[in-house]
Amino acid sequence: MALDARSGAPKLQLNGTNGRRRHRPVRLSPGGVRNGAAAQGRPRNRFEQAPLYVAVLTYVGFGIVTLFGYFRDFLRALRLEKCHIAQERQELKEFVPLYQDFENFYTRNLYMRVRDNWNRPICSLPGPVFDLMERVSDDYNWTFRLTGRTLKNVINMGSYNYLGFAENNALFLTTVAEAVRGYGVGTCSTRQEMGNLRIHEELEQLVAEFLGVESAMTFGMGFATNSMNIPALVGKGCLILSDELNHTSLILGARLSGATIRIFKHNNMQSLERLLRDAVCSGQPRTHRPWRKILIMVEGIYSMEGSLVCLPEIVALKKKYKAYLYLDEAHSIGALGPTGRGVIELFGMDAKDIDILMGTFTKSFGAAGGYIAGKKELVDYLRSHSHSAVYASAMSPPVTEQIIRVIKGIMGRGGTNEGLRRVHRLMENTRYFRRRLREMGFIIYGNEDSPVVPLLLYLPAKVVAFSRAMLEKNIGVVVVGFPATPITEARARFCVSAAHTRDMLDKVLDALDEVGDALSIKFSRQKFSPRSELYDGTDFELDS
Amino acid sequence: MALSDAWKRLSWIYYQYLLVTALYMLEPWERTIFNSLVVSVAGMAVYTGYVFMPQHIMAILYYFEVIQ
Repeated sequence: MALDARSGAPKLQLNGTNGRRRHRPVRLSPGGVRNGAAAQGRPRNRFEQAPLYVAVLTYVGFGIVTLFGYFRDFLRALRLEKCHIAQERQELKEFVPLYQDFENFYTRNLYMRVRDNWNRPICSLPGPVFDLMERVSDDYNWTFRLTGRTLKNVINMGSYNYLGFAENNALFLTTVAEAVRGYGVGTCSTRQEMGNLRIHEELEQLVAEFLGVESAMTFGMGFATNSMNIPALVGKGCLILSDELNHTSLILGARLSGATIRIFKHNNMQSLERLLRDAVCSGQPRTHRPWRKILIMVEGIYSMEGSLVCLPEIVALKKKYKAYLYLDEAHSIGALGPTGRGVIELFGMDAKDIDILMGTFTKSFGAAGGYIAGKKELVDYLRSHSHSAVYASAMSPPVTEQIIRVIKGIMGRGGTNEGLRRVHRLMENTRYFRRRLREMGFIIYGNEDSPVVPLLLYLPAKVVAFSRAMLEKNIGVVVVGFPATPITEARARFCVSAAHTRDMLDKVLDALDEVGDALSIKFSRQKFSPRSELYDGTDFELDS
Repeated sequence: MALSDAWKRLSWIYYQYLLVTALYMLEPWERTIFNSLVVSVAGMAVYTGYVFMPQHIMAILYYFEVIQ
């Protein structure tokens, strides 16, 4: 029997206990200590690998399209075929090229062929169902025209509408309408000049209370919150340790700051610890002076993988090596945790352990903008030193009021617990959706609690066929391929919402079943039976 | 009845072939070029087999001293 290295307790692999359903083995955290909800049987992130032939066929597919791409470029060069993309004028041929022909190879020869699956025009609000405008192309997707027909009530599985607050209910939106009448729609100024309205102060106090921190500051745009505030916090001589799969806004902010950036493998604590050790021991590259600051940047939910950050381990590491932690809760705030406080609440941790909490209001709150929260000194510093505060326009009043009403709803003020009910409904929908997809045999990435569900499709043609087939069944999905994902791991990304009823989810699941069989994308080699009686016994498998 | 089922099955297999080789994304004339290449290569393999299989089988049987 294997013994755990540190605590000396036997290593157990539990395959289902106490009548609760568990489909995968559960490990206790390293010291055998249970910390928070996540270690109480909640499994870690799963990234199942597809069989080898799938990777081979993916490359074969890309290879064939690349060959035909070269062939078509050759025909275009010989003027046998009309070139639809931007080209320089004849008189400028000897100049330095303006349009790099080869770099656009992928766009020209792959994306353009199938781009009817992206940028579809929507003509209603992005709720659980929406309306699409039908568009067709006569020349293989180089140009589109709208036929005039609207596809009504397409089920929306792509919008970041986790709590369903992208809604049109006049009853819920009375305060927002009053804010428009009282404050207008534009603030016409920056926060530092004339744009600091009373409603902004109210929102910031509310956000600080919601998160359980001393103070918070809000910004008009979520992307700009990251990219404009990281340069204010770190500079040259500082070190940023950033997760492999961080969002572009974090990467942009890190690059703009001028600090040294080192990347650790996704959610891999050994990699992070090694980097921290090297940084603390060796210091800056040539001078070996100690780093001025070490900032670890992670996200709550990684939106392309649906995986959760290993928060307890990271906080333990940061305390041990005296680094700072920047947690970007763009997708997880409002969507995780028993009362919607995000990934910190899910792990049962204290918000005071994390130095800089950042989040956006675009996803769960149905508005726009972002916030940074933490100690009062930090936020006061940012109020005067952030680029966004000084130069960017302040958040629009109706948007601010929308966020206020949503936060009040989630916290239970205003007499109704509609917000909390939505948080619970989201959790139920997520669990149901993920469980059914696993049972059907699809490969799903990520943690069981995350409302972002990536379904792996791998082959480029299947990605396209999937999107079209789902649209024919009146379901709108988002598919992503290279370069947003690794080249062999193209996927469809579902965002479960609290506004989805069980009926809608069942309809989507049935459609997925059919399309999955027609396209043969059920690659999973782990079989989960839908019959729960099989899992209710205690079934220990001891490592030996 | 059986014929239409068989046709549906063949159609599904062709669809899988298009998906796996990414021909699904190409225009019809490009599919024709690729399919002609595949058919010609397969045809040449079958023809070579037809011409040389008897000789090869006789050689093997001779080697294992089944025939003299």
